[in-house]
Amino acid sequence: MSENQEVAHGFIRHGANTYVATFAAPEREVLINLTEQIIELLAERVDGKSEDPLAAMVGITGHDSPPDDEVLRRLLPDAYSDPVESAEFRRYTESVLRSRKRAHAMAVRSDVINAGDQAIELSEESAQGWLGALNDIRLALGVRLNVENRTHEQLEILAPDDPMRAVFAVYTWLGWLQSGLIDALFLDIGSNS
Amino acid sequence: MKSAVDEKISEFLDPSFLSDRPWIIIVWDDPVNLQSYVVYVFMKLFNYSKERATELMLQVHNEGKAVVKSGAREEMERDVQRIHEYGLWATLQREGAQ
Repeated sequence: MSENQEVAHGFIRHGANTYVATFAAPEREVLINLTEQIIELLAERVDGKSEDPLAAMVGITGHDSPPDDEVLRRLLPDAYSDPVESAEFRRYTESVLRSRKRAHAMAVRSDVINAGDQAIELSEESAQGWLGALNDIRLALGVRLNVENRTHEQLEILAPDDPMRAVFAVYTWLGWLQSGLIDALFLDIGSNS
Repeated sequence: MKSAVDEKISEFLDPSFLSDRPWIIIVWDDPVNLQSYVVYVFMKLFNYSKERATELMLQVHNEGKAVVKSGAREEMERDVQRIHEYGLWATLQREGAQ
């Protein structure tokens, strides 16, 4: 797990159930670009054409093997260590999981596009969707950055011409943004329990 | 296509069918998820207090994994799917299984 980060601004809580942030144009661009990539990536793993339409309607897909792509494997992980049980679970659940994750990313994308340079106002429910989407993007970037096998320090000293340097900057910014939204949400939980 | 009877027979043939041991959900450590996010997800999905959620998060962080919930298989499968929706890495198994 990653240590929590210091937050200067980002999302702040307004009143009982509203979380507000304003993004500069380059930040909006990053959010739109990355949510679109997640939406695309999840869509690539389409349900097989030969499948029973009735089965598709209730969320059963032809997929019972884990995705080949490492990022998709992290977004749609195995639920059992046993491959047979895992395949069975995947067949009945992956389609729903994929569409929920796509819905989170699509909501973030449209919130950012609709707000433009104005403030984005989230309810607690939509904030939860944002957290899921931001996390999915960070998981995907984390796979590409190979954070499993590299320390934070190693990533911080990437050469200026290393393309991963910019990826790491975005990854760090998203962590900061997510962390600030969680802090704002915790103000709420803390007062109720 | 298996018939309903075949499905039932294969359930009985599962060596753990007669077991009354519950199913458990294990959450595994990963370097991406923020500590505060893991606490938030445990609180929201399982209605745990901040203290309990924090304790479980620290166990995941320090020991590499933690059992976060146990119960009937169907319920645990639904919960694992919710955990995956929020990007934590979770698996389920019967309690005591390797």
